[in-house]
Amino acid sequence: MRPEIPVNHVKSHRCTRQNIESRNGSAKQFSRATGDMKLRPNRAKDKLAAGEVAIVVGGMSDPDAIDAFGPIANANDIAGMWLEGEHAGVDASTLGNLTRACDLWGISPVVRINENSQGLIYRTLDCGAQGIVVPHVNNAAEARNVVDGGKFPPIGKRGAYTSRQGHGVSNYMNVADDYSLLVILIEDIIAYNNLDEILEVDQIDVFFVAPSDFAASMGHTGDINHPEVVETMNDAFRRIEAAGRNSGATCGKAEVPRYLDLGAKFLLTSAGAWLSEGAASFMDVVNNHSR
Amino acid sequence: MQLRPNRVKEKIYAGEVAVSVVGFTHPDDIDTFGPIAKETGIDAIWLEGEHAGVDHADLGNLTRACDLWGLTPVVRINENSQGLIYRTLDCGAQAIAVPHVNTAAEAQNVVLGGKFPPIGRRGNYASRQGHGVPNYMELADDHSLLIVFIEDIIAYQNLDEILEVEHIDIFFVAPGDFAASMGHKGIWDQVANITEVAETMEDTFRRIQAAGRIAGATCGKAGLERYLDLGAKFFLTTTQEWLNDGAANFMNIVKGHSK
Repeated sequence: MRPEIPVNHVKSHRCTRQNIESRNGSAKQFSRATGDMKLRPNRAKDKLAAGEVAIVVGGMSDPDAIDAFGPIANANDIAGMWLEGEHAGVDASTLGNLTRACDLWGISPVVRINENSQGLIYRTLDCGAQGIVVPHVNNAAEARNVVDGGKFPPIGKRGAYTSRQGHGVSNYMNVADDYSLLVILIEDIIAYNNLDEILEVDQIDVFFVAPSDFAASMGHTGDINHPEVVETMNDAFRRIEAAGRNSGATCGKAEVPRYLDLGAKFLLTSAGAWLSEGAASFMDVVNNHSR
Repeated sequence: MQLRPNRVKEKIYAGEVAVSVVGFTHPDDIDTFGPIAKETGIDAIWLEGEHAGVDHADLGNLTRACDLWGLTPVVRINENSQGLIYRTLDCGAQAIAVPHVNTAAEAQNVVLGGKFPPIGRRGNYASRQGHGVPNYMELADDHSLLIVFIEDIIAYQNLDEILEVEHIDIFFVAPGDFAASMGHKGIWDQVANITEVAETMEDTFRRIQAAGRIAGATCGKAGLERYLDLGAKFFLTTTQEWLNDGAANFMNIVKGHSK
């Protein structure tokens, strides 16, 4: 015999629009007109739109690690998680689980891919990324290729498909372009030489100036503090700001003031430095404690 | 090939303090943490299988990442089962932590699962840690580390008999369940400070030390001095505190910096 389900249980869990709205709040998540879900906000993109600084953290490779970090991110107003697919193992098969963990805490999943390929860009968005980072963008045509892969027609050429982010969102195709964040890496001296034309490409949200490849492309491999590298990078930051665009930078705690002074609005930092400091500080107590 | 050293076991029997860290769930994150562990002197990675997702399908990859950096993989399992204990060792754990060990017989069960005959009844098989080690079966018992959790008031009442069980390396006194079993439910680091709980736990630490055995404790930085003073030689701490401090420090600079 089937067990009898209490009436109030049925009521409270029935998926009527009224019940869903009373649980989730109609204004934010659901449209009264259609009963549909709204697309999840892109916290990093919203921050930039408000003129605020968006902080993105890299260094977590597992959905459980992101989930555990969620409350810390929320308490500290961390805007996004950087998922590393240029150099590390993030790929299409891992993105669903990784980005869902971000979704739970309202943190933007920002995925760095390893090739300026339209197919790779939109597949990454389809798997759940809210932000795409494309390395080594060196001219306006290459920046334009990022837009072609990242936006639906008529802006770009993104293949028509509802992303995982679009489940239950009936107007996904109409709103997706407003929610996706496109980041390009300015990290070669060629890109610096072509900076003016690159800065004219619409729809790119962040022009991210990365030091290591920049230095290498100038013949100063491993020497990101070489005066010539620093001055060229500083000039790139100033010109991005002067063009009315957003710049991005990667740094630890010590360099935050430098990059904020240069106008950076998007900062990538690494959880590794925090673990390192935490471990050192814990072990200091162990090692210096005399019984 | 020689069997990999068990860093925690070597340290605690040299009278030194060994520290393990919980919070890593992916082999790549352990691998990234490797140089930090080396630099700062962290000894072990705690892989959580009592409450979180670590299981046998994951253990090979997780423990290989530890092996690369000479970090001892410590796996907490969720049942005092001989089969579970030795399968966990077979998959690459160098240490097993067994929760809720309340009597000498239960502690002896951990030994039976964790050691080969004649000491115990561990099933005959070369662990992943034994690949290429011809005399694995002879050496394994000396290299495996067994931890029992003293975390119930019943275990406290039976402490004397539990402390007589040989081959248990660490008697880990855990505050959360300890307090709950005494009628105080709450967050572990808060209930640890309730007078009745604190006094019972402190007595436990003292008796472990008086019996010539090794005590383990879990705490953040703030609790370290207390447990070091109580003689604890093995520590479990969590990355969450470090991430929290790091995020807060970083964001304080962002917020406090005016252009």
